[in-house]
Amino acid sequence: MEIEFAAAEGWLHNVWLLIAVPLVSAAILLLLGKRADKWGHWLGAGSVGVTFVLALTFFFQLRGMDEREGVELSLFEYLPVAGLKVDFGLLYDPLAAIFTLLITGVGFLIHVYAVGYMSHDPGRRRFFGFFNLFVAAMLLLVLGNNFVMLYIGWEGVGLASYLLISFYFDRPAAATAGKKAFLINRVGDAGFAIAIFLMFATLGTTQYDEVFNGVGQLTGATVTAMGLLLLLGACGKSGQFPLHTWLPDAMEGPTPVSALIHAATMVTAGVYLIARSHPVFDASETAQAVVVTIGAITLLIGCIIGCAKDDIKRVLAYSTVSQIGYMFLAVGLGGAAYALGLIHLLAHGFFKAGLFLGAGSVMHGMQDQTDIRRFGGLAKHMRITWITFLLGYLAIIGLPPLSGFFSKDPIIHSAFERHGWSGWVLGSVALIGAGLTAFYMTRLYVLTFHGKPRWTEGQHPHESPPVMTIPLILLAVGSVAAGGLMATSVPGWLEPVLGEHEEHHARLSEWTVTAMTMAVVILGAGLGFALFRRGTALQEQPAGPLVTAARRNLYFDTLNEVVFELPGKLLTRALVFLDNRGIDGVVNGLAATVGGGSGRLRRAQTGFVRSYALSILGGAVLVVAAMMAVTLS
Amino acid sequence: MTTADLLLVALGAVAVGAGVLVVSTRHIVRAGLWLVVNLLAVAGCYLVLAAELVAWVQVLLYVGAVVVLLLFAVMLTRAPIGASDDLDRPRWPGALIGGGAGLGLAALFVSGYRWSRVDLPSPGTATALGEQIFTAWVLPFEVVGVLLLAALIGAIVVSRPDIGSR
Amino acid sequence: MTTDIAAETLKLPSLDYAALAPMLILFGVGCVGVLVEAIAPKKARFPVQLVLAVLGIAASLTAIVLAAGTEKVTAAGAVAVDGPGLFLQGSIAVLGLVALLLISERSLERGGAFVAQAAVTANSEADRDQATRGSGATEVYPLIIFSLGGMMLFAAANDLLTMFVALEVFSLPLYLLCAMARRRRLLSQEAALKYFLLGAFASAFFLFGIALVYGYAGRVDFAGIHAAVLDSPNDIALLYIGLAMVAIGLLFKAALAPFHVWTPDVYQGAPTPVTALMAACTKVAAFGGLLRVLYVAFERSQWDYRPVLGAIAVLTMLVGAVLAVTQTDIKRLLAYSSIANAGYVLVGVLAISKAGLASSLFYLVAYGFSVLAAFGIVTLVRDADGEATHLSRWAGLGRRSPLYATLFTFLLLAFAGIPLTSGFTAKFGVFAAAIEADQTWLVIAGVITSAIIAFPYLRVVVMMWLSEPGESTPAVSLPGALTAAAVTIGAAATLLLGIVPQPLLDMTENAAHFVR
Repeated sequence: MEIEFAAAEGWLHNVWLLIAVPLVSAAILLLLGKRADKWGHWLGAGSVGVTFVLALTFFFQLRGMDEREGVELSLFEYLPVAGLKVDFGLLYDPLAAIFTLLITGVGFLIHVYAVGYMSHDPGRRRFFGFFNLFVAAMLLLVLGNNFVMLYIGWEGVGLASYLLISFYFDRPAAATAGKKAFLINRVGDAGFAIAIFLMFATLGTTQYDEVFNGVGQLTGATVTAMGLLLLLGACGKSGQFPLHTWLPDAMEGPTPVSALIHAATMVTAGVYLIARSHPVFDASETAQAVVVTIGAITLLIGCIIGCAKDDIKRVLAYSTVSQIGYMFLAVGLGGAAYALGLIHLLAHGFFKAGLFLGAGSVMHGMQDQTDIRRFGGLAKHMRITWITFLLGYLAIIGLPPLSGFFSKDPIIHSAFERHGWSGWVLGSVALIGAGLTAFYMTRLYVLTFHGKPRWTEGQHPHESPPVMTIPLILLAVGSVAAGGLMATSVPGWLEPVLGEHEEHHARLSEWTVTAMTMAVVILGAGLGFALFRRGTALQEQPAGPLVTAARRNLYFDTLNEVVFELPGKLLTRALVFLDNRGIDGVVNGLAATVGGGSGRLRRAQTGFVRSYALSILGGAVLVVAAMMAVTLS
Repeated sequence: MTTADLLLVALGAVAVGAGVLVVSTRHIVRAGLWLVVNLLAVAGCYLVLAAELVAWVQVLLYVGAVVVLLLFAVMLTRAPIGASDDLDRPRWPGALIGGGAGLGLAALFVSGYRWSRVDLPSPGTATALGEQIFTAWVLPFEVVGVLLLAALIGAIVVSRPDIGSR
Repeated sequence: MTTDIAAETLKLPSLDYAALAPMLILFGVGCVGVLVEAIAPKKARFPVQLVLAVLGIAASLTAIVLAAGTEKVTAAGAVAVDGPGLFLQGSIAVLGLVALLLISERSLERGGAFVAQAAVTANSEADRDQATRGSGATEVYPLIIFSLGGMMLFAAANDLLTMFVALEVFSLPLYLLCAMARRRRLLSQEAALKYFLLGAFASAFFLFGIALVYGYAGRVDFAGIHAAVLDSPNDIALLYIGLAMVAIGLLFKAALAPFHVWTPDVYQGAPTPVTALMAACTKVAAFGGLLRVLYVAFERSQWDYRPVLGAIAVLTMLVGAVLAVTQTDIKRLLAYSSIANAGYVLVGVLAISKAGLASSLFYLVAYGFSVLAAFGIVTLVRDADGEATHLSRWAGLGRRSPLYATLFTFLLLAFAGIPLTSGFTAKFGVFAAAIEADQTWLVIAGVITSAIIAFPYLRVVVMMWLSEPGESTPAVSLPGALTAAAVTIGAAATLLLGIVPQPLLDMTENAAHFVR
């Protein structure tokens, strides 16, 4: 299928406004400084509201068109280098359209909520500046018409996310978490960057249409490499195994940040990347298999660790990790499941944002307490938060007719339908995941809102102001209604992008899967309710090896240390040694450490010049020898 | 073998031997004096190759000026005149790399030319050199003047404590 | 026979003065500067020298612009005037002008960054006295002008001997300038001595390389060497080892591993404005020379030297990136960053194609502007003892001086290659060129090391913004007009080249043709 995009015409010519509005607002907020302190937050929220309205108009414009493949808009030539022309160009197609609506719609609600949540924070204006910057970068990410634009947005959201995680910089944990997020993301970004250069090397372009049309000419190995490198990037940004450890730590940022960036939008960029490059993944069986494997592993890891955590935001974070695992699983299955992954992404955007904002509302009323062992009985004191949280909770565990049911059930079903034995494995994993999700979410919900209060001294829980509760209500309405609505409309809407796919269910009927899912969900929820109805111990209790492992994040931090940090440290040490002492120092080093204190004191700065000269000479000999070797061979 | 060949080999041997002594002696003054021997032997090589001007410039500049300057510096900084252990530490890695590099380059030249004959260019008299300098190399030559001027200014700046205070 | 020799047998070479004007103007202005030192009264010297130097560089830049489009070899084959040469000369002039602004700043410290009497014993009574009082040496101006002139000649030299002379002309003043810091004199003198000794050592390699290449080709001009490369009966080993040794001399100046050892010490010890000059202009000149040697003289032998130089590029990026992680001094950190950046430029150079040439030129200019601005900000963070370069002193700077911390953060992001800064455009350019030339392994190494080197930059950002200012956090001095101008120009160029790089990219593309 040849992919071609029409040039933008009419109102759609102004798609660039979507990026420009929040960007200008961010610039005003960050440059004006204290002068904007009084009204800055309203500007920040308002600009996203305007963007949402704009996004709606563009959406209806596109809907009214006969050919909905998408329209392209080339703003200016950005990088004309080495036979490669990279335009600063935008692509507005059905996929971009639904992401735009999600980002600006949910983004707007979270912005409004943040006006209330951050009202006591002296850095509120700066916060909104970064927040708008994030929205602009995220829109650039989904609206670009080539992989370089996508990469620019990718780095932009990473930067904004890093700035916002470390927003409370007086907390050391926040600074560390920001650093960790940045570093782990660099691993993914490096993979993504190499994938882009690989496209350029093999296809000579990074434009979406040209790359996708050209995939057919490439060898299987190249396409697989390209897919796996893109996947590495996606894993970094979306917190997937084995690069998932940064996401839970990122919860050190303010709660609206966790809701918008680390639940609803940015972390789903990996799913977007895979869905966007679906022709690459369709062309490589191996790459798809790796995607589903990673999705399945991650969703299980997320659930297991989520069961053992006691911090309300961390539980939600691990639940995000595991839900994105479902999305990866879906987009890895390919075919009709692409649309299912995206539906789950949209539905998740609503209910997870609602859950996080609900958690924020709880923290707001409980003096920033986050330990669920110290909550309990809050339903009476925070009615609106309770009801909205309940709806979000029911949505995520997949109770019909809430949105999770419409989005997660079909994914489990599709997993069972994958050919061969792998279908059974994947389906079972997804099924177990659903049960575990029901268990840990029930635990979270019951411990927070029901049972006897286990508060610390001096707590007076109270409901949050309307500016915070209204977004909660709207998101809850979304979690209730969105699933069913989207399950019927989105697959058709995305057909121009993802192609038509017939559904054929051979193994299990829809009803069998639904019944099985319902059974495990009820089992999980019932178990959670029975265990935690009466509250829980206030201190960490000794437990078996599995629970301990889950409390320690299944030792993934330790694994990262061994795999990434240790070789890095060793390399650094070796290079420092060689660099400071030179070749000469290698020999004399021993003598110096044993005998010569004074010798070392005499050195004003670093090494002796003769050591330097010797390493230059040594290097020269090596270069000459290598040159000889290459010449003679 | 002609007389010229024999002379070259002999002078070369003297130059290399003196060079080794420069870096291996324990007396800093003797190192300077061995350097004189080394430079004179190299100047002898130039003479054998009929590059008379270069040979005399070598003697005048290196033996007459540079080495004398070196010896003055040794005296003025009151460096130890007698044998000094600082000067003679066995530094085998350095010796190996340095010696290896020297031998390797020598081997390269030998293998590069083997027994091929190279005709000597016209004698390097002052006339011939002057002609070259003012035709083919006039620009680099003039720029060397700039280099010397810069060096002069720099030498004054870093060495005279009585300037700049007025 | 004696007196008529000139008239009869000397055929004086034709000199195209218009094409040589950029260098001749600078050498002339340098000589006038020396006269000013001798004649002008003490008080008048600084303004006169400053105006003279600025006008000189501006005149030289005008001459370069007027010569644009020329393609010829002049001065008996010693100088080639062509697109890359003129572009490099123009870059040296512009970056040199910005560096001159930093060098001339005198409001941060009485008398500027340079010591009045470099010969006074360090840490003596007289030295402490002159550190706070005396005016600075104005001899630095002719030295800088000579150095810039040498760099321009280096970028345009068309034979190895001219190149060697130019190398010495631009190096010697730099050795001297390194020794003239007003504060921390011992460190400064140690740096200068190290730079001088190691520079002389590297020059020896260069000279020996020239001898070997001459032994192979029988010529030292690039056209002659190229002809011999294509067809010569001599032992090819002479050529390759000659090339290796010539390259080592150039790699030393460009600070590529393992010939980078001097860089951190010298960058740290030298007066910061001089460090800025070295990081920006010397790098341009050194790579200019390397480009000309590889692209003009040794063009056809690329397959033989590319693996070796490629390994050097990878090693350089790795050393620069990994060792930057361990640094605790901002100037040393920037030194290792400049080492890593040299590795990235080498990746572009090794594409050995028009795109490689163009992208390397772009990289050099983009990096030059950023690094000038970065060192400009380093000169502003100071306390009673001069600049506070230890990283711990930068903690909490974001609170003390949000404007400069923001600018510095932006520049660090540019070094890290974050999009919409010139660093991204430049890196993208060299990587794309290398990919096109099938040097994928270099690009993979480049992408991975740029992920590593983002970490030390991030550490500085974290330190500036995310720690509370302590007792020892110095206030940022209010810059004088000159430093403010330099920092503004550098940061603005970094931003502009990141957002609309096309004009400069087009310029490099048009310039990317060497004359032989």
